[in-house]
Amino acid sequence: MTTQLAVRPRARAAAPPKRSKKARRGEAVFGYAMIALSVVFVGVFTFLPILASLGLSFFSWDILSRPKFVGLQNYGRLLHDGPVLHSFVTTIVLAIVIVVLQIVIGLGLAVLVQQRRHKATQTVFRTVFYLPLLASTASVAIFMGYLFDQKFGVINYYLGLVGSGDVPWLTSSFGASVTIVLVTVWQQVGFTFVLISAALTSLPRDILEAAAVDGAGPIRTLARIKLPLISPTLFFATVVGLINAMQLFDQPFIMTKGGPGSATTTTVMVIYQSAFNNLQFGYGSAISIVLLLLILLVTGIQFAASRKVVFYQ
Amino acid sequence: MDSSIAPQISRRDLFRVGGVGAAGLSLAALTGCSVFGSGSGGSSATTFTIAYFGDQKSATALQKRLAPKIRSIDKSITLSINAVNGTDWNDFFSKILTQIAAGSPPDIVGVPTEGLQLLAEKGLAIPLDDYVTKDMSKLKSYFADVHPSLVEAMMYKGHLYELPVDFNAGNMFFDTTLFQRAGVAAPAPDWTFDDFEAAGRKIATLPNVNAFDWVVRLWGSWTSFMYANGGNLLEEGKYAGGDWLWNTAYAGDSAAKGRQGGWKWGQPTANSAAVVESLEYMIELKKAGLSPSPDVGGGGTLQGLFSANRIGMAIGGGFWAGGLHDAGMKNGSFDVQYFPTGKVQRQLLGTGGYAIFKSSKKKDLAWEIVKLLIEPESFDIIYPGNTTTSARRSLSTAARYKTTGPEHWQTFYDSLSDVDVAPIPAPPIYNALATSLNQRTTQAISTGNAKSALDGMQRDLESALASKS
Repeated sequence: MTTQLAVRPRARAAAPPKRSKKARRGEAVFGYAMIALSVVFVGVFTFLPILASLGLSFFSWDILSRPKFVGLQNYGRLLHDGPVLHSFVTTIVLAIVIVVLQIVIGLGLAVLVQQRRHKATQTVFRTVFYLPLLASTASVAIFMGYLFDQKFGVINYYLGLVGSGDVPWLTSSFGASVTIVLVTVWQQVGFTFVLISAALTSLPRDILEAAAVDGAGPIRTLARIKLPLISPTLFFATVVGLINAMQLFDQPFIMTKGGPGSATTTTVMVIYQSAFNNLQFGYGSAISIVLLLLILLVTGIQFAASRKVVFYQ
Repeated sequence: MDSSIAPQISRRDLFRVGGVGAAGLSLAALTGCSVFGSGSGGSSATTFTIAYFGDQKSATALQKRLAPKIRSIDKSITLSINAVNGTDWNDFFSKILTQIAAGSPPDIVGVPTEGLQLLAEKGLAIPLDDYVTKDMSKLKSYFADVHPSLVEAMMYKGHLYELPVDFNAGNMFFDTTLFQRAGVAAPAPDWTFDDFEAAGRKIATLPNVNAFDWVVRLWGSWTSFMYANGGNLLEEGKYAGGDWLWNTAYAGDSAAKGRQGGWKWGQPTANSAAVVESLEYMIELKKAGLSPSPDVGGGGTLQGLFSANRIGMAIGGGFWAGGLHDAGMKNGSFDVQYFPTGKVQRQLLGTGGYAIFKSSKKKDLAWEIVKLLIEPESFDIIYPGNTTTSARRSLSTAARYKTTGPEHWQTFYDSLSDVDVAPIPAPPIYNALATSLNQRTTQAISTGNAKSALDGMQRDLESALASKS
């Protein structure tokens, strides 16, 4: 009987009703119409500007005078521009730290919240952790700038109560970098948390029950069962997180103006300064194109690495 | 590449072909910081547009107050005052430039010293020489009321681009309550760096008080110490010319003697001995516990801390009178004195006025409105509550400062005649200079190495000048 069940032929799927050529064509047109808006939107607001930016990178243009074609001069200059190259290093370092913390903290919070038995408690925690993401980044940066101010910030006030001296959160190179990372992770971790929470919730119960029957404890279940199963989600969160973190702008721009010195000057800040402060739009475009290529490269490496560490069911 | 053989493409062509090329920048990488499409609308045949540094609520209030005056010139004109927000003049001016590039320049714009030379260098503003010459008889009383140092600061290459409306010299404000508590006498007009330090050491003994505080910016920052130390970030010089004005508007005025065609900012001298000494002095103040690490830009926080009696001394101009009063400080709880003397007694200043855009289709009307804006009655409409110092000496009166203070309000205008004053170094590459100044100052303060930071600034400025040429 078991054998019979195993080899039982599947029920023949009902053949779709035959439709006229006209109906199929109408359906196709409807489909194209449905995606047309998105295609136009992405084309106009993403691809066209990227192409325009690429074109602009071959010009010297201060937006007030006529653009002058300079070929690859902007790219050549970039290769020898110490502050710009330093901004790439700063961006990559900050991005890696931010993404690692986001994933680790997001995962930790998701696992802890999932252990709550009451649905209502889970909902409350999910809302609370996601809330900072809804606030404007600029507002958060301004607010955090006050909290972390060395002279009158609340953080130093409370540290003072326990005997600590004033910490130069925003006025020392290391302190400013740490503060930028903390603020960014605090605000962005909700996204990673929600993704991982959803992935954990949708894990097949039979596999988890089988692991429990086999005597696997919570840590072993997490390491050997859950993490591999949610690895596609972790991969997605890492890719998206890194792309976002490599465009870090608001927090350092508002909280430190890229300082002290250039300790927190990210590449997007350099693009902004080159284009909008120094009126070198061609050069700013060249830097933005290189940043775009770098992001594509990093994403490509992540996809290549994912073949070994990401498991699709 | 030589511009003579380089293909020339018009700005509008590039926008047209590129689908707003600069917006590409923002979408390729600058997510969330686009400044295009602000919808300022520009000026139509019946709308006259003034760009205003501030929030839209204040701009609208100003528009309501000014509109009747504008209508007295031309009833068919609708006045539109567009607010442009910014953390400082650098930020404001970047946004104005972007508005220009987006094809919606205002008819006139409030331009401070920071942006004057850039605007003039790029040919975006028109010289007022012909208008001033034509209306000289009507303007005599204005020039008689305005110190020539302010007018000279509005000149570039012999031409006058703005009529000064307001100014602020970098004086030193002090908290009289804290001075009394620390047993420090109010400073004298000829006080020195030593006096400043001595006062600071006593004030620093008070709990939760910083003897002196400052912000990183070009006006009224460590740059004030640099001026008093005889240094500057750029070589100082003056353009030839300007006789057409000095010989008519200021004939016989001794204060106008030696005035020329505007300040000429030459090669960078950011790592010269006098400049390095000045920044080292700031580092020493911090090490001695007389000053905390400074914030970057703005100055609102500094005023807030000062008004909360947390700061003994801070650099401020006439605009501090209104600012401190608004923050709750009573007349008498603060006062002002000239900036202390270092190697020399010298103060910096910034001035502001209104420039007429070359692209304006209503230049004659714009000139009439500029004249309206410099009238004494207009000053309090534009700047209510002592939020700046009028360029007109006649408006610096005891009655004006009766409510807000300070007691020695004369210091503001007398700075122009009693002390050597020079405008902040704002060449056409001002924006690059301001960016570098912010970064290199914070670098120096955090590392304690002024020389290294200023060597970097020297390179930044040399590079900016090379890019410009």
